[in-house]
Amino acid sequence: MIEMISIFSSLLAMPAVPPAEVLSASDLSWAGFIVWMPLLSLVLCGLCAAFKVQSKAPAIITIVCLGTSFLLTLLLWNSYTQPETIHLFDWLQVHWDDGSFVANFALYVDSLTLLWMLFVTGLGTMIAVYASEYMEHDVGKGYARFFAGISVFLFAMTCLVMGDNLLMLYLGWEGVGFASYWLIGYFYQKPSAVAAAKKAFIVNRIGDVGLALAIYFIWSTFGTVQYDEITTVLRSESYDASFGGWTVHAIPYLLMLAAFGKSAQLPLYVWLPDAMEGPTPVSALIHAATMVTAGVYLIIRTYPLFMLDEYALPTVAWVGGLTAFLAATIGMAQYDIKRIMAYSTISQLGYMFLGLGVITSYGAAYHVFTHAFFKAVLFLTCGAIMHGFAGQLDLRRISGLRKMKGWKIVSYTMLIGCLCLAGFPFTSGYFSKDAILAEAFVTQGPGFKFLGWLAIFTAGLTAYYTFRVWFRVCAGPVHFEPGDELHGDDPKSFRPHAPRFAINFVLITISLGALLAALPYFVPNETETIQGGWVAEMVYDSPAYAGVPQVAHAAIDSHDVGHGTIEQTVGHGDILGMDPHKAMYYISAIVGFIGIAIALFFHLLNRGAADKLRSKLLSSRLTRWLPTAMENKWYVDEVYIALIRSPLWILGKFFSLFDKYIIDGAFVNGIAALPRAGARWFSPLHNGAVQSYAISMIGGAVLIALLMLYMPEIVSYLQSLSSQQTEVEQAMLLMGGMP
Amino acid sequence: MTLWLLLLIPLVGAACIFVTKASIAKWIALGVSSFVLVVSILMAVQFDQWGTSQTGLVSHVAWLSQLGVTLDVGVDSVALLLVLLTTLLTPLCVWGSFTAITSRRKEYYAWLLILETAMLGVFSAQDLILFYVSFELTLVPMFFLIAIYGGKNRAHASVKFFIYTFTGSLFTLAGFVYVAWQYQVSQYGVWSFAIHDLAQFASTSLSYSEQCWILLAMLAGFAVKIPVFPVHTWLPLAHTEAPTAGSVILAGVLLKLGTFGVYRFVLPMVPEALVAYAPAIAVLAIIGILYAALICWVQDDIKKLVAYSSISHLGFCVLGLVALNPIALEGAVLYMINHGLSTGALFFLIGMMYERYHTRDMNSIGGLAKKMPVWSFFMVFFVLASVGLPGLNGFISEFMCLMGTFIATADASQWPGVLGPEYAAIAAIGMVLAAMYLLIMVGKVVFGKLKEPNQDGALSSLPTDLSPREIGILVPLAALCIWIGVQPTVLTDAMRGSVEEVLAPYPRLVQQEQEAPSTPIVLEKEDQHG
Repeated sequence: MIEMISIFSSLLAMPAVPPAEVLSASDLSWAGFIVWMPLLSLVLCGLCAAFKVQSKAPAIITIVCLGTSFLLTLLLWNSYTQPETIHLFDWLQVHWDDGSFVANFALYVDSLTLLWMLFVTGLGTMIAVYASEYMEHDVGKGYARFFAGISVFLFAMTCLVMGDNLLMLYLGWEGVGFASYWLIGYFYQKPSAVAAAKKAFIVNRIGDVGLALAIYFIWSTFGTVQYDEITTVLRSESYDASFGGWTVHAIPYLLMLAAFGKSAQLPLYVWLPDAMEGPTPVSALIHAATMVTAGVYLIIRTYPLFMLDEYALPTVAWVGGLTAFLAATIGMAQYDIKRIMAYSTISQLGYMFLGLGVITSYGAAYHVFTHAFFKAVLFLTCGAIMHGFAGQLDLRRISGLRKMKGWKIVSYTMLIGCLCLAGFPFTSGYFSKDAILAEAFVTQGPGFKFLGWLAIFTAGLTAYYTFRVWFRVCAGPVHFEPGDELHGDDPKSFRPHAPRFAINFVLITISLGALLAALPYFVPNETETIQGGWVAEMVYDSPAYAGVPQVAHAAIDSHDVGHGTIEQTVGHGDILGMDPHKAMYYISAIVGFIGIAIALFFHLLNRGAADKLRSKLLSSRLTRWLPTAMENKWYVDEVYIALIRSPLWILGKFFSLFDKYIIDGAFVNGIAALPRAGARWFSPLHNGAVQSYAISMIGGAVLIALLMLYMPEIVSYLQSLSSQQTEVEQAMLLMGGMP
Repeated sequence: MTLWLLLLIPLVGAACIFVTKASIAKWIALGVSSFVLVVSILMAVQFDQWGTSQTGLVSHVAWLSQLGVTLDVGVDSVALLLVLLTTLLTPLCVWGSFTAITSRRKEYYAWLLILETAMLGVFSAQDLILFYVSFELTLVPMFFLIAIYGGKNRAHASVKFFIYTFTGSLFTLAGFVYVAWQYQVSQYGVWSFAIHDLAQFASTSLSYSEQCWILLAMLAGFAVKIPVFPVHTWLPLAHTEAPTAGSVILAGVLLKLGTFGVYRFVLPMVPEALVAYAPAIAVLAIIGILYAALICWVQDDIKKLVAYSSISHLGFCVLGLVALNPIALEGAVLYMINHGLSTGALFFLIGMMYERYHTRDMNSIGGLAKKMPVWSFFMVFFVLASVGLPGLNGFISEFMCLMGTFIATADASQWPGVLGPEYAAIAAIGMVLAAMYLLIMVGKVVFGKLKEPNQDGALSSLPTDLSPREIGILVPLAALCIWIGVQPTVLTDAMRGSVEEVLAPYPRLVQQEQEAPSTPIVLEKEDQHG
């Protein structure tokens, strides 16, 4: 391994990892290996695939490389003192006399980066361990390809999070999109998987275009794409409200487009539910814990730019709030547990954006952090069930899991995940969600109070659909039907195979992480002026927060003061006359209990009642639309197909015919036919009879003589036209100008 | 003299092929073209003018001295990059034709080598007549390559290709001759066809309306070649019918003759006119990007799809050419190279598939990842390069072209232009569409359930997946795609001097244009000559 590292580093002309005692805060060049290790893993897995390695070697390589990345991240976190740029190599630089476009392959390490990197590399490693067992059916077939995909994802994600400029972020942004395409389409012979992979990439591409345009706007406004330089410009003396003109108002909306695409928000969320076609570890890592939070990261990283337009953050809040609600309603009506988790992810991401919109970037970041753990647990338990029950994911067909032999760990880790997701008191999800909910009432903005109540209602829905899954699958009488991936087993004699060491180990570790994620909330931060503990400190320490421009400073500052020492300052809203931060602990707990209680009644105590309610709703003409629309995901996919895809396809078809028959047929071939037609017209002249030649000769001579005689008249006639300034005449005059 | 050596080696090789046996023709062609590649790389290594605006490797050869026509050759950094692209693609094309071409082999390889000379002649010509002769000379070998070795509809395709592009370039010749004539008048009867002299003369001494007419005349030839909407219809037909190597050369190099022509002649010769016409050209380019992309979407013929994608892609290149700032122009030159690499490779891959299955219809073939994993790997790789995945080459040039277009506003401080954010924003939709049609293509052909057309025992002798020879063709292209994606600065630095030299007069002209807009359509009276 060590030889490998040194060979690799010499290839990249970089210094090898220095011994630990040499490490100092000023020399962080070894941090580059956080990025290079996944790349190394990619190369080695690629070689395994090329040489058709028939063992679990790819998994071991990936685990070791990603684990190294994680350890280095811990080391970096430990030695971190101040924001620092680590230059790896020059990437794209265009210089001219007094301007330049510089985007280096460089890392920017600050507390925000570290926060993200800790859970990205940590969960990445754990999920690779999980996948080593989960994917064992594919050893020698797709195993190396799978782990190469995981490696390429981690490489891209580290670039995205650690890059020191927007172009690096773009590299990571498209890179994770590509990794997602790769892994969703892992079962490439399954048409639905191929379609889902394609859909994910294309929908994300729409967001990517937004990001690209945002980069152009930022560069043309600020003259740089490096975060620290943008911050410098924003803080400079020359900066005022009129800075940059209209362009600065376009920037946040374009960044939003990118963030909403990657983080599956309205109107671009449609790809995420379909992305569940990928293997479950992929869903857990990419489509729940890490990649989909890239949008939140982008907005926090460029938060100062969102302060430049007064409607930018309210837009984010509204999109987030509505997405949270809409996705929760769809999640309530699904039967596939993995899809329920997918809609739940969309809904939780909506909460994060709501948090960003109501100016609690720490609340959003904290929710990202806790969500990463508990949603990973939930997906991984779903995966274990799917693995053990031959692909069965329908919550009506599995019951009483916790009473089955060998499924205890799965059942109870799933319970931990469900409790966190439902916001059960004193779990991590409870604190992080409250931070956002309370802030919706604290911050005053257009309709924020409504969004706050909507989010509280959605929290109830969340508790309901979460425990609907748990009560159906894990509790109740023992009953199961295998899915359709039997691998030749007889469905009658089917016995579920319980997870073994690797999966159980990972489930326990990550669910512990999910529980412990509540602790950072209580770690006192150094400044003591802001609530939220360690995570708040990580976010507020970052220049991303401090770089808020002067125009917005006043609002933000008074807002923070309101949080800290002085209660009820101007701009500090309330909920039903109480301080939201305190009241929300009780309100959300009550709402959560109600949700769980309803789930308990309908899905454990009286399962028949749920079906009865559904058929009742369906039988009445007045209410029929509700379950139908919810089960059909509010027909959003259909609307897209009808409004965008089909018209474009028809346009394409039309253009194709237009190209063939009008441009090529009429226009090109028409012109090409002219000479032939002309030849046919004149061909009688060439009839071989001398007298006719003579006649035409004389005729021609006469014509020329006439032309010469009347030339002055013709010219004066043409000149008389010149007052009308026609194109033809001007062209002729010009021709006359040519010798 | 080395540049002339470079031009003559393929011709000597072609002559050798005619006097030897058919069975060794391919080895001679491969040896000769590889030798040319080595020589050109040595030349590039020793080239002193990287990063500067000067022309290097100049050699003067007198020809018709009374008329001022010479056989002067020389290259600047941009031309040398395109020379390298040509010398790289030619041996790969020869190598790629080993199994595909089974009849009339001698002629085939001879034509390929002659084609190489003609293409190198275009890039290295320092004389207008030499340029024009080489420009037209490329048509002849390509005509025969399509007409003899092409698909079912080859006769129609080859004739259309020839006549269409030939007709277009006749206008270009007329424009050239007019410039030369005016130069001769101004020099009291001394003729010259040296590109440098004429460019300097035309840009400073010709009136605005004359420049406009010359611009239109030159575009008539170059736009057909690029091809720009609406004069593009010869391309899908020619691509579909051409043999694999023909398609690769066509997409890889011949289309670049048009964009190179714009770079070499339009930009330096008629700056005033270009400033006035740039928005119109950009609009055509954007229409081309979107229009061709939508057509790609509904294609069933995979080769036609890639052919239309060339039209769409080169729209970005044209945008970069008319944005009139260094980042865009460097992006456009890079685009020429990148498109040659990735689209060239795609045509190779399609050819390899065609040799095995004898179909290009995406409805009758699918799921090849199961059967040909190596082929599928390369297919996905080059599609991603084409889509513009960051880290690979296509992204860099697309990003630079769009960025250059974006910042080309009239109030930009250093490089004012006549385009702007709205052009870039609309063109950027092409990025989404490109992902759409290319991934749909991959989804059909590479992924999904394995679907093979019925073959009645007529299986080719090729292995199921790629042979080492075929992998050997694709690996250098893939390596270059990664290298340019990671180290684009090496190339952009290399071409900086030339690009800035070409663009030098533009900021002033754009400012003039802003102060006193001139109408793009010729409406001034020209009295001084008439």
